Formats: sequence, structure tokens, C-alpha cells
Amino acid sequence: MLRRIADHLFWAARYLERAQWRARLVDVNYNLLLEVPPRAADPWQPILAITGEIETFGAHYSQADERSAVTFFALEAKNPSSIRSCLETARFNLHSLRHQIPSELWLEVNRLYLESLSWPKDALALPSVPGFFATLRERFYLIGGVIQATMARDGAYDFVEAGTMVECADNVARLLDVKYHYLLPRPEDVGGAVDVRQWMALLRSASCLETFRQIYGNAFRPARVVELLLFNSAVPRSARFCVDRLAAAIRRISSRDGESAPELSPERPVDLLAKSSAAQAMASGLHEFLLNFQRECAALATRMTAAYMTID
Amino acid sequence: MRLRIRHQTRFNYERPAYDSHNEVRLCPWDSADQRRINFELTTFPRAAILPYTDFFGNRCHSISVTDRHHVLTITAESTVEINAAHRPSAPNERPPGPEVPFSRFLSDDAARANQFCEFMSSSRYVPFSERLRKFFWNGVRPRGNDDVADYVMRVVAFVHDQFHYEPASTHVYSSVNDILKSGAGVCQDFAHLTIGLLRLAGVPARYVSGYLAPHEQTQLGEQASHAWLEAWLPGAGWTGYDPTHRCRTDERHVGMAIGRDYGDVPPIRGCYRSDGRKSMMRVSLDIERRDEADDTAVVGRCHSQQ
Amino acid sequence: MQYRQAPAIAGLPMNEMFETAGNPRPECARVASYLLTMDSRRLLELGARAHLMFQEMGVTFNHYGDAEGTERIFPFDPVPRIIPASVWEPIEAGLIQRVRALNAFLADVYGEGVIFKEGLIPREMVVGSAQFRHAAVGIRPRDDRFVSIAGIDLVRGADGRFLVLEDNLRTPSGVSYVLQNRVVMRRLFPELLRALEVRSVEQYPADLLACLKELAPNPERDPVVAILTPGPYNSAFYEHVFLSQQMGVELVEGRDLICADHKLFMKTIYGLRRVDVLYRRVDDDYLDPVVFRPDSLLGVAGLTAAIRAGNVAVANAIGTGVADDKATFAYTPAMIRFYLNEEPLLPIVETYLLRDPDQREVVLKDLDRYVIKPTGASGGYGVIIGPKASDAELAQARARIMRDPAGYIAQPVVQLSVHPTLMAEGEGAPCLAPRHVDLRPFVLMGARPRVLAGGLTRVALREGSLIVNSSQGGGSKDTWVVEEGCSVA
Repeated sequence: MLRRIADHLFWAARYLERAQWRARLVDVNYNLLLEVPPRAADPWQPILAITGEIETFGAHYSQADERSAVTFFALEAKNPSSIRSCLETARFNLHSLRHQIPSELWLEVNRLYLESLSWPKDALALPSVPGFFATLRERFYLIGGVIQATMARDGAYDFVEAGTMVECADNVARLLDVKYHYLLPRPEDVGGAVDVRQWMALLRSASCLETFRQIYGNAFRPARVVELLLFNSAVPRSARFCVDRLAAAIRRISSRDGESAPELSPERPVDLLAKSSAAQAMASGLHEFLLNFQRECAALATRMTAAYMTID
Repeated sequence: MRLRIRHQTRFNYERPAYDSHNEVRLCPWDSADQRRINFELTTFPRAAILPYTDFFGNRCHSISVTDRHHVLTITAESTVEINAAHRPSAPNERPPGPEVPFSRFLSDDAARANQFCEFMSSSRYVPFSERLRKFFWNGVRPRGNDDVADYVMRVVAFVHDQFHYEPASTHVYSSVNDILKSGAGVCQDFAHLTIGLLRLAGVPARYVSGYLAPHEQTQLGEQASHAWLEAWLPGAGWTGYDPTHRCRTDERHVGMAIGRDYGDVPPIRGCYRSDGRKSMMRVSLDIERRDEADDTAVVGRCHSQQ
Repeated sequence: MQYRQAPAIAGLPMNEMFETAGNPRPECARVASYLLTMDSRRLLELGARAHLMFQEMGVTFNHYGDAEGTERIFPFDPVPRIIPASVWEPIEAGLIQRVRALNAFLADVYGEGVIFKEGLIPREMVVGSAQFRHAAVGIRPRDDRFVSIAGIDLVRGADGRFLVLEDNLRTPSGVSYVLQNRVVMRRLFPELLRALEVRSVEQYPADLLACLKELAPNPERDPVVAILTPGPYNSAFYEHVFLSQQMGVELVEGRDLICADHKLFMKTIYGLRRVDVLYRRVDDDYLDPVVFRPDSLLGVAGLTAAIRAGNVAVANAIGTGVADDKATFAYTPAMIRFYLNEEPLLPIVETYLLRDPDQREVVLKDLDRYVIKPTGASGGYGVIIGPKASDAELAQARARIMRDPAGYIAQPVVQLSVHPTLMAEGEGAPCLAPRHVDLRPFVLMGARPRVLAGGLTRVALREGSLIVNSSQGGGSKDTWVVEEGCSVA
């Protein structure tokens, strides 16, 4: 496979995954705020912290209110990570491959992109914010389903899988980090109604609230959430799940090479999780643990890019 | 006279260059009046070098360097023997061949246009512009009874006398319009302008890139990389003229490549990739006279910087 | 199904299916009766199905000047064009003869130039052509096969003879439509195809691949072939993808390639992989920034040197455009006689060189009777059709010719043959109506030259229009070369 094609597939998948995470984060937070009387001055600040876009946001908006936050995350063309921009980038990456990927995949991504061209520029003009995100959620599931149902399990799929998993692992780590450090609870709130709602929102952002309940019932202890989102290898969108799949995709790619595979160490993020636990990570500082994990994932993505994708 | 020429071009890159490809025309030609005794092209770092002959019969080399490098040097070393017997003894000596008046010369123009079409028409650096045409008509239009060879020398002298030689007044991408506008130029512009005028008059003319060996008594630093032209004359064939020095080419002129204009014969042309933008080129040129086997004094050395 | 045909008048274009209204030619009898007995709505339905199939297959072309992302379907007419084998076979031989002569011409003009010395063609015209590539001098393709793939445009005059209208020797396109048209027709008219013993077109990708592999400079190992495309915004991008898939070779862009040590490689996820033959669909000017346009990002630096070194072959070779220049065209019969010592099997459309004062005078006197074409352009751009042009357009054309006579040629207007075509728009029930057609057969000049049976029939869908180019509102038909015996009803 050509390096350019590998690169296009990897980044198309990353941007689709990023768009999907943005949609879930904004949707969940929006719903959370519907029920909670705004307590903090900037209830959207945590989301900006998760996505690491406080500065970008600040450059365009004076206040992190609902309208500007939804606009920024979903509709803003100047924000390279808005849903709109992510779709544009994903579509751009697939454009030159459109006859080489399943036509359903191109059609779905292109259709969503063409629709995004008619989205309003301002959240104020959206007929219904929840409706908008509900539709988006379905569309993303549709695209994910098309990928699973139509792509042959060959090199092309592996690069899509790798891109998706790198992005997902990064997002889940950020999500947890912010909740743990930013939203973190004044002692008197722990276990209170607001706190529980926030944990629920967080799990819902990763679409694993129901799984959590099945395993742990309704007792939202931080260690359990951390266990589920980081270490549980059976939960889709858990960090462990992602890096397992990322490592497997890379192993498949390198094992197809008849000659010597480049030294990629795809196991390093997996090892980090396998050799630890929620209790250990929290005892030694979850923030540092997550930072370290994110660094390992990013470094692996860089090694993978250098080994298989850079053109120069 | 025997000349030993060492022409080194050195590129320094701000950030490493890679995937670098160059086409060079640095090899003096081999003919009756100029014998090429040897030629060697070396590069640092080492490169794949492919010799070939181009459309105009020039000896060219393709140089390719794939790996990253901060510096690229291309060194051409040659020894040539100029056969003075084939060169004029006086700067404006009339070349051999019968006197042919223009009226007769132009009567078989069609056949010549077919044979030498590329040297008789407008080209990239010698466009038949309004400005050039006007200059031609007002200044040096031939009369019917002019002898062609005399006319060519007259045009060469006219260009020399009308324009100032001014280093750095133009750049390598200047066309005849630039020298006509500014009234000054370098050897390349003098050659282009003379070529343009001769072509408009119906005389085939082509561009020559080469070297000018310094006089023994000249100072170091005299311009040494040079350009002139050849005009096609009835009887004499291609004949060299140097409008920069108002003369026919003599035993100091070492020819390297011919073309329609500079665009066909740049000494080095190519491209490379790099993360940086800046690069610096430095050319150094040594020409030694070797009149006798053991006399190897360097009499000319020139460095230019870009 | 109704067939609407004007009453026969002398001087009308040849109708390829009906000799007179309701009276089909023998080779078309079966198809004609099939179509005429068919319910008109049924044929319309088949047409709609075909459109849908093209959409599903993604058979599209990009129109220059269109906004990004607006790929179009090349309009398709479900009525097949019938060419009996006895008519086709001499055409085949004529095409091969023609491309052999053109290759000999290219080897000559980039080599010794014997034809100039013989005075058969002005050197000035060839060497001075915008399509002459100085860089091609000294590069000699295997067996002088400068042109491996040719698309030769033919038209059929009022007397039924096929004439050559122009040669396409650079990067001729359209073959993917021929192959996909057949896929669609197999589903629409399976019984008809079988009954008529229509010659197959399926082997084209395999033949093309074999033809390309023959060019490989180092035949000791299985040559690696790749297709070089300018990218997804090119009008023929679909075809590039299609051919790469059909041949099972990589489709590359310039940035996927690198030249090292005067060899060509593509950048794969497992490192550099040597390319032996490049089927390039990028014009000369963009192929190598070292030699041609220095600003081009579509090619690969150092390619010309790699070709020169004999480490890679490109098809078609650099510089073939000088042989399909519209001015050179006038000399093609002379070339066939000169190089092959044979009489041309296919006549060409009479061509006037406006660089020649005598010919120019003839043309300028009756400008409105000629088609004026710029010598360098292709794709129907810049063409003026005298009888259809307004006075202002003619005056403009005249001025342009006077300014640059060598830049234009003129040809008399050929009454292109017509073929029944399904017309659904307008008033009344759908019907068949005559529309002008041309034909672009594809020639593969391998060790054993082959011509794809039939070729691309383009049809001018507007009534009376003579312009069949896809970029100017033309459509296409499937072309059936049929064995004689089977076509009689």
C-alpha cells in the first residue's frame, strides 16, 4: 500500500472519531446543564479543558456560554477541531481514495459533509440543539457500522482502526483527567447529587453508563469509573480496549511485511495499563498517570507515522 | 594554448536538502578549434551521475542525491587546448567566406528558416517584443547591399557601444527587454540582445555559455564565467562573437554549451526538497594557463556569491 | 417504439442503422426490429436503469471549471451502434498501420530527422511545435514504441467511408467508458448481445498491462507497473482508478514517487518499491520539474534522467504530442508512404494548413464552410464551426488566424453520420431520433498490436449538433462489432 493512502485512511479515521467525541461531549454537557442551574460562571470551561482548546476558544469568543460553546465545538469553521472542520478534513482525506474504499463509506461521509455545508454558522440558528446532536450520533454510528460491515480486513482497515483507536484513547484519557482534576469535588460535594450527575455524564460521554451500572450498580466511586474507562479491556472506548486494538492493528500491518518490520513497540501503552490498576494509578497520582499514558499513545502514533506514512 | 579549468559550485542549505536533482552543462565542447583533453565531474556528497547529450549536442550530466545533506558541491575540472589557428588574429577580423549581400542572403531564407528554425525565431529570453523590434528598425536594420559578415560585426559593435556593462544590473532571468529598458546589463544580456537583433535581420544566431580565460596581465577577479553568441554566416558557418568585448571569439573563449538562449544552457539547473527555505550558492572558478607542461601558474580566479 | 427520421434528401448525413426510414440496413436488421417492437416506455426504463448503474459504479468525469465535488455521469444512450465485422476489420488494419507510421515519425524527428532531409515535412513546423520536446532527444523507447496507447478519432462521411479526424497520442482517455458501457449493456440486452456474437472488449485491461510490461527496460524480473494520475480533480480521474483496479496495479500521484540513483520508486508503507513502467496520465509539461515546468507538483523530479538511464519506461513516451499536433496531421498520409512504403488504408479528413499562404487564401475566402481548429489544443477547446458561427465569431477567428496562421488548421465540415438515439425529452412519447456520432477506437501498440473491438462512440445529444466531446454536452453509446451472418433477422 502507498504511504499516502495509509496516511489518508489514518487521518480520515482520526477526524471522524474526533468529530464523534466532540458531538458526544457537547451533547452530554448540554443535557447536564439543562437540569443543573448554572453554578459555575463558565459551565463549558471543563469541556474546553478536555479538548485542550481554551486558548483557541478564547481567541474567538469572550464568554464560554452555551451559544458560543456549541457554535465553537460544532459549527465553527475557524476551529480546526469543530465537528464541521473534522468532517471536512475526513472527507478531504477520503476524496482521492473514494473509488478504492467501499462506495457506501464514501457516500455516507460525503453525504454528511455535504449536509454540514448547510449547517448554520451560529448555534442560535439551530432548530433544536438536542435534535442536531441526536441526528449526528446516529450518522456517526452509521458510518462506524459501514466501516465494520463493508471494509475488507486488510491493510486499509488496519490504518482506519489504528487512527480510530489512537484518537479514542486520547479522548478518553482527557475526559477522565478533566473530571478528576477540574471538576473535582469540594469534599462536601462528594457523593452528593451534583457529583453523581457529573460522573453519570462523564460515563455517558464515553457511552458506557449502562455498562457501568451492569457491573457496579449505582455506586459511582471514582476508582470504579477509572477502572472501567481505563483498565477494562471489554468496554469499547476504554483506554485499554483502544490500545489493545491499536497494538493489534500495528502488529497486523508489520507482520504483512515480508522483510524486517520497523521497531515500533506497539505494546508500550498496553503495558502501561496492564502493569497498573485504578488503585495504583490513583495512589501515585492519576493526572500524572494519564499524562504519561497520553504521551505513550502520541509517541506510538508518531513512530507509526514515521514508519508507514510520512511521504518525504 | 592549453587551459586547465576548475569550476566549483557549492550550495549551503539552511536545513538539510534531500531528493535533489540537477542537470548540469559544465563540460567544454570538443571541436576542431577547441580540443577537450579531459573532463571530470565530481560531487560531494557522492551522487549518481548520468552523462548524456542534449538536443543541441551539449554534453550534459544528470546528478541525483537522495540522502539528506547540508552542503552540495559540484566540481567540474577540464583541460582544453585552444587551436589558435582556428581563431581570428584580430578582434574584428572578417571570417572566411565570400561576401554575400543581404539581398542575396535573404533570397534563400526559406531553406535556412527550415534548417535553423530554432535559432531564427523568438525564444524565452529573446522575445520579439515591440521594444526589440523598434530598436532594430531604428538602429541596426541591414541594407540590401550590406555584406552579411560585416553586418554581424556592426551589430556586435553597436550593442557594445550603446550599452553599459554593469555587473549585477540584471539577473539570470532577465530578457532582452530588461537591457533595452535599463541600458545596462552583463554578458548574458549583451548576448541575448545581439541574438535578437540578428534574428530579426534573418541571420541565425545562438547563445553560447562558456569561460573567458584572463589575459596573463589581468588582475585576479576579472569576470571569468562568460556568455556570447554564434551567428551563422554563408561560407563560414557558425562564427563566435563576443559583444561584451566587441570582438570575435578568440583563443581565450572556451565554449561549453549552445542553445536558443540562456534558458537552454544554464550551467546548473535543478530542484531539491528541504524543510528550510534558504540556501546559499557560491561559485569559484580557477583557470590556469599551461602554455608549457610545467608552467601551472594560476592567473585567474573568480568568486561570486549569490 | 417510433423512429422519427426526416424524409430522405440528397446530401443528408449517412444514417448508420436505416437506409431509409423504416428500412434498416441488413447488419442492423435484428437490432432495429428488436428496438422498434419494444414498448417505448420499456426502452426509457432501460435507459434509466443504465443511468443508475453508472451512478452506482461511480463512472464519472470531472468537468473543468466545475466546483469541487460535482462529478458528472457521462450521458449514456442505450441504443447500440452496430459495425459489421467486414467494415471493422479494414479499420483495424488501417489504425495499426497509422500508429506504426506515427511511431516511426517520432523516432525519426527525435533521432536523425530523415524526413526533414527528404523535405517531406517542414522541420520548422515540427521542431517549432509547442509539443516538440527537446528533452525527448536521445531517449529511445523499446522498439521505438513512443506511442503504446493511441485513441484515434474517426468520423463517417455521407458516403459511409470512415475518415480519420484526429489522432490522440498523449494521454487518450475514454476507454473506461467502453468497458463499463458493455457491462451495463450486458445487463440490459443479454439475449441480443449473445445472438449477435458481439466482439468482446473485456480483455483490454489484460492487453494493456501486457503491452506496458513489454516496455520494461529490465525484463528479467516481473516488471512493476504503476499509473500516474494528476489526482482526483482531473477530468479522467475515474478512468485512472478504473484501469488501476482492472490491471491490479498501483495508482500513484507525483508525491508517491521518488527518483534515486536514476531509478524510479514508489513510497509504500514497507519502504521504497521499484517501478519499471509508468503509465502516465500526466502531460509532459508536468512530468518532471527538473526538465519541464519547475513549479509542477504533479510529476516527479529526476524522472527524465531515470528514463534516459534506461531504468524506467513511461507510456506514452515524452514528446508524442508532436505527432498528434493538428498541423502534423495533414502530413500523416505522406508519413505512411514514406516510412512504411504502403498506401494509407484509412483516409483522413482533408486538412488545410493555414501557415501556407495558398491554403490560407482558399480557406479565408469561405471561412464559414470550414471547421477551424487550434493546432495545439485538444478536447474540442477553441474549435470554431464555420456554418454555425456568428459573423462576429467568424471575424474574430479570421483575426486570430491572421495574427498566428501557424496556430490553426481548417477542415471542411464533415457531415458526420447519424445513428438512432433514444430521445425522452420534449413533447410527445419517447422515440428514436438520428443524432451525429463519431468513434474513438483504442490501439495498443504492443509486440502484437491490438485494437479494442469497436471503441468509444460519442454522440452529440442535441439535435443537429456536431460536437461530441464529453466536455461539451456529448454522450456515449456502446459500439458493437458484429459478425455478419448473425445480424440478419
